[in-house]
Amino acid sequence: MSAPHHNDPIQISEGELTAMTAELEERHQESLPKMRAALDEWAELRNGLRAGVDGLTSAAATRRGFLLGAGIALGGVALAACGGSSGSSKKKSGGTTRSTVAGGASQKLTGDLAVVALAAALENTAVATYQAGIDAATAGKLGTVPPAVVTFAQTAQTQHKAHADAWNAALAQAGKAKVTGVDLTVKNGVVDPAFAKVTDVAGLATLALQLENVAAATYLSGIGAISDPGGIKTAASIQPVEMQHAAILNFVLGQYPAPDTFAKTDGARTTTDQIG
Amino acid sequence: MSVDERRLGELVEESEDLQSDALRNARPALDETVDLAHERGRHDLDESRRFAHESRGLISRGVMGGGALAAAGFGGALLTLMARPAFADQSMDVQMLQTAASIENLAVATYTAALGLPFASSLPKVVQTFVTTTRQQHTDHAKAFNAAVTQLGGKAQDQPDPVLLDVVNKAKPGLTGPGPLVDLAIQLETGAAETYVADVGAYSDTNARKLTASIMGVEAQHVAVLNAVKALLSAGHPEWITLPPPVAQLPAAAGSVGFPDTFIKTDQARPASEGAVK
Repeated sequence: MSAPHHNDPIQISEGELTAMTAELEERHQESLPKMRAALDEWAELRNGLRAGVDGLTSAAATRRGFLLGAGIALGGVALAACGGSSGSSKKKSGGTTRSTVAGGASQKLTGDLAVVALAAALENTAVATYQAGIDAATAGKLGTVPPAVVTFAQTAQTQHKAHADAWNAALAQAGKAKVTGVDLTVKNGVVDPAFAKVTDVAGLATLALQLENVAAATYLSGIGAISDPGGIKTAASIQPVEMQHAAILNFVLGQYPAPDTFAKTDGARTTTDQIG
Repeated sequence: MSVDERRLGELVEESEDLQSDALRNARPALDETVDLAHERGRHDLDESRRFAHESRGLISRGVMGGGALAAAGFGGALLTLMARPAFADQSMDVQMLQTAASIENLAVATYTAALGLPFASSLPKVVQTFVTTTRQQHTDHAKAFNAAVTQLGGKAQDQPDPVLLDVVNKAKPGLTGPGPLVDLAIQLETGAAETYVADVGAYSDTNARKLTASIMGVEAQHVAVLNAVKALLSAGHPEWITLPPPVAQLPAAAGSVGFPDTFIKTDQARPASEGAVK
């Protein structure tokens, strides 16, 4: 994404901008220890996690099969239906299911770790999409890009990278390979077709909003599905951030920024998604 | 003011439709809570105590402190609300849900009082709409938390969080303009969001966890909007607080001011029993 032009109007002082940026970086760094603590919980529990996967299935059965239930109903292309949160979808909520997923080049994951791999892949998808947007803007394909939009894209991308790192740290602590690929189901079914039609900032913001809503919905679904305390805490610390990204994108697009009284799981991805 | 009043009205109506949809979505989780109530006996009390201990530690570090502002009433809406101590014999889940309801009750009362402040009518229209809509969302959150409380066998909480009420009362004398009001709202919304993030990791009841998880992100969105509003007010451009804003005119920093934390922290989370019913 192109750097702000020198003649763009900046209405607050450089000193204020510097201070705001420094404060953001400081808060980012402050949030990392909490994340490390949650990841440490993963490490402590990893041995039990393997043993617990079998038990999870029976535990889930006592919950009316919720965990194994509704999520599958939302197939890959259902993502499109969840797009702008301003929609009034009546679809039933989805759930993150516990089937096997390709977490790396060859590994097969189940249970909580499959959800972790899905989360990492979705974060990677967001990072890649923002990068594609930045590249398109830099190439002048999106017209004039306001400085605030540049900052949004760069900051959101950085945060998604950190989220992906967190999930990959959990995988590594469990002795699994990191997920470096994207959610191919989302990429091929939604991102690529939509991105091909993006010609301006509003179009890119609409696609970004769609991805942020999907990420938030997937985390919300995952919080109700996974059993590991460290995993729940990690997802809980990330889901609201994705919703904040969505709020600002809604605002920029002229839509009410907090449209839902209760966050939805509509459009949540499932562990049946292809990762690569 | 470049607010498109008609568009704003459409958006509010649309938002109300979404709220109705969301309420319908929340009910199945509450229904399942009944089935899971019998599982409360399995609750890990040691873990609950550990959580409560950690939360108390956070409070001892002075989070959410109101500073040296003098205590004062904050209008009739708040003066009618009385604090009650925790009921230690209740399950931790019930106490957390009651505390959540108490936070929501305080938010509703605070936004109601805000609308009665002398300068309220001069706030940007988008902000006025935000206050009204957010108050309704908090009302619905309180109802949902209390529904979960009663379905778990507890008593609904209709009172405010006592510690936060004190914060609000102490802030009142300083609420002479939009800036301090936005700061107070950020403080309350941040406290709510962080409390729920912490609670989600502590519930033994899956549906209490799911309900709370469905609310924490909404409070975080309120924080994001308020942070954006604060930045534009601080920059001396309340006229930019429109829907949509004049994006091309905004300073670069405005693009990220709404989401300063990569991971939501819990250092401002309220203790689990702080707002529990006596």
